[in-house]
Amino acid sequence: MNMHKNLLAVATSLALVAIGGVAFAGPAAKLPSQLPPLAADKALPVPQIAQKTLANGLEVWVVPRKGLPRVDYVLAVRNAGYAADAADASGFASLYAQLLTQGTPKRDAKAIAEAAQGYGGTLAANALNDGVILSGYALPTQSEAMLRLLAEVAQQANFPDAEVKLAQANALQELKVSQAQPGFKATRALLAATYGDHPYGHTQPTEAAINAVSADKVRAEHARRFRPERALLIVTGRISADEGFKYAEAAFGGWKGSGEPIADTAPARREAKPQRLFVQRDGSVQSAVRLGRPAIAATDADYIPAQLAGIVLGGGFSSRLMQNLREDKGYTYGARGGLNALRAGGLVQASADVRNEVTGAAIGEFIYEFGKLNDYPVPAQELEDTKRYVAGGYLIGNQMQASVAASLASNWLYGLPPQFLGEYVPKVRAVGADQVQAAAKKYYATKDQSIIVVGDYKAVQSQLKEYGEFKLEK
Amino acid sequence: MRTRHLSVLLAGLTTITTAAFAPASAAESDRWQVPVAVKKLDNGLTVVVSEDHSSPTVGVSVVYHVGMRLEPKNRTGFAHLFEHLMFQGTPTAPKGVFDQVISGGGGRNNGSTRADFTNYIEVAPVSALDRILWLEADRMKTLDFNPTTLKNQQDVVKEEIRVNVKNQPYGGFMWIDIGQHAFQKWENNHDGYGSFQDLENASLADVQSFHRDYYGPNNAVLGIAGDITPAEAFKLADKYFGAIPGRSTPTPPDYSEGLNTQEKRVNQTDALAQVPAIAAAWKMPARGSRDHAPMAVLGSVLAGDEASRLYQSLVKRKQLALSVDALYGLTDPWTYNGPTLYTLFALYKPDSSADAVLAAIDEEVAKIAQGGVDAATLKRVKTKMLADWYNGLESYIDRADTVARMQTLWGDANVVNKIPGWIEAVTSADLQRAAKTYLTRANRTVIDRRPTAMAAPAAAAPSGQN
Repeated sequence: MNMHKNLLAVATSLALVAIGGVAFAGPAAKLPSQLPPLAADKALPVPQIAQKTLANGLEVWVVPRKGLPRVDYVLAVRNAGYAADAADASGFASLYAQLLTQGTPKRDAKAIAEAAQGYGGTLAANALNDGVILSGYALPTQSEAMLRLLAEVAQQANFPDAEVKLAQANALQELKVSQAQPGFKATRALLAATYGDHPYGHTQPTEAAINAVSADKVRAEHARRFRPERALLIVTGRISADEGFKYAEAAFGGWKGSGEPIADTAPARREAKPQRLFVQRDGSVQSAVRLGRPAIAATDADYIPAQLAGIVLGGGFSSRLMQNLREDKGYTYGARGGLNALRAGGLVQASADVRNEVTGAAIGEFIYEFGKLNDYPVPAQELEDTKRYVAGGYLIGNQMQASVAASLASNWLYGLPPQFLGEYVPKVRAVGADQVQAAAKKYYATKDQSIIVVGDYKAVQSQLKEYGEFKLEK
Repeated sequence: MRTRHLSVLLAGLTTITTAAFAPASAAESDRWQVPVAVKKLDNGLTVVVSEDHSSPTVGVSVVYHVGMRLEPKNRTGFAHLFEHLMFQGTPTAPKGVFDQVISGGGGRNNGSTRADFTNYIEVAPVSALDRILWLEADRMKTLDFNPTTLKNQQDVVKEEIRVNVKNQPYGGFMWIDIGQHAFQKWENNHDGYGSFQDLENASLADVQSFHRDYYGPNNAVLGIAGDITPAEAFKLADKYFGAIPGRSTPTPPDYSEGLNTQEKRVNQTDALAQVPAIAAAWKMPARGSRDHAPMAVLGSVLAGDEASRLYQSLVKRKQLALSVDALYGLTDPWTYNGPTLYTLFALYKPDSSADAVLAAIDEEVAKIAQGGVDAATLKRVKTKMLADWYNGLESYIDRADTVARMQTLWGDANVVNKIPGWIEAVTSADLQRAAKTYLTRANRTVIDRRPTAMAAPAAAAPSGQN
């Protein structure tokens, strides 16, 4: 839809976890002498989080803000997402999350949607690997009512048979829509090559898994997955801590879990035999190129330096991959990469969609950039600029209350403490070039990367020989 | 910021616009008055400032009053290619400097090309504001007209078109192809992404003359939002942009056109898609006309969210479609200054048909045309639109961009504070009138796009072309 200079969502991502970064393909450009100096940095604002745990175990964090007239709520439920899906039910969590807002004993789906609309907001749920996020927002005068609606959905969603059937039928069609997109196929192959049989390895839906869903199963899973002692409610916006706690107690104080909670996700593997996979897509005029390997969880001691290494490599518009593959070679509209670390593991990946004619050459440049990150320390100015880019990303995200809430929720799902958000920038600032290089050697070594290409095999086959024997998949 | 009164009134400004409107029926605490201060520099550059010290950051947007409508004929896609070249360096700041300075200052930047304007946006810690303004002024003066970077960006733009159009199912037909069929004049109906041949034919001479003609300060608006006072911001704007001479801008052709008088039906096949889709588009009322706000509200009543009439009908009750989305050209209901479309895009089920989807749309439109919209629904939809409008102004980069766009297209940045009131004033009778006038069959253009693999004989189009 956008005719943007680049595909990066500059304005809306908090850029703390996987996005952001600056680096240069070669020596940094010489800055013009007329360029004004940077002014002194102002102090980094740190979110002030009022915390309380209700008697039923629900954690409540309130972050009062004086921004626009809106109150935001995020209910994060750990172990309720894709990682909780059975091996033969891959992608179940997304259908389940979507169905959460489709009915309670008091309101049908239409009444829920109309209520949210009338509050000047929306109520929606989505699945992540480590949990489900149910979030809503409303104008200040409607904020208490919105939290009641959110709580009603969280505690009383009843998954009407007809809604489940409709969601199933639509999901089968949506799967066809997804399968027509090169990125979907590339992700499927990459997840399998990195995470293998781990639940993180199969988060996309399949036809069989969609067909196996029933209303009874969804209701049973909801009872297992949604429970107060596994949940965090974040409240932010034009609301005081006292009000936030009062509303939360009124809306969630009576919430009880039932049965046995879901066990924690087993750790994902940290190493995998690198593979060469080619996924055939008839008629492709581009190859979707992906490199990747399993890596580490967000709570790993190497997380910060490995993250920073990824930002240098492919974190932003000025990253090495973007500068090389796009701005120097003109192979692609966008090349990016870095670490994606979650609760039970993570992966390093890099990606670009390139025209058929330069598929082999593009893989060569990826390998070159991974190698350079391993073999040489990041030059001082580039490292400093990258750290400033990370700090800026934090400040930009901190402008927006929903973004702060989303970051706090993801960190909590990963097992990071609440203060991590405010400590992230100082921690990044403390990393040296030697630590970045050490992290690169551990997690960004060329020899460890699987290479995946989705495209037209006949058109690009001859360019791939020097990168190994590619296994052809339909 | 966030106050309901404007905090600054500066002496000596050419113009100051104070924000002044909030809907009467919304609760006081749900209102938001965006501070807007405007000054025009001697060279014609209009500067709009929205002060907000809640974050130590700043958003910047430079909006040029030229977009795809005004690109040279036989150079389709040129306005967008040119946008890319604005990032490719100047004699003073060669390629690489722009992105490096902004990223290294902690910022993010982007640009986009639309029918009526092209915008260049940044957000960064306020410590980088001087540098950003210096860079924007530098590329307003001149560019490094360089064959290597031209070739590089021709390649990049072609990859952009491959990744967004040629290698994607549906190929953006609901925003590219639909306008080609709905409009009569070249300015409105050519492909703004461009043909590969036209892109390849673009020359440095084209780049030079486009920059000279359309990228002068008098054809631009600078928006700044965030941790700075209007007085400081105007001073900085004058410091960095004040010495750039104004340049004469060509008189635009008359690209206005009336509503369509005969329905157009187009059938397409799609080799990559597996699920059929439909786009139905109607020409919108002119910007600022008395039907403008009613059409915006009608658009939301029909397809604004999951509570909307068409979502409930097409997706939930009749179960014909997987989704239904509303598009307003390439922008939103308020950001255009020439012929534009209200487009409904739906993926529909293989056992359904374009005709069934259209019949269901017509049914909902007819209900409104005949009986209007009940008070409860109208109130809900307006409340949501008000909140959405505020939401779009939360981030500084979007706020700077919105006030600059409004100044560019409406000649009044303070439209940002008037829109809530315009929404509030719409009545059920207004919706009836808008439905009867614009959402007619005669004013409609439809593309039915089916997977090649389905190879179903297309239903006979009633008044078909193509």
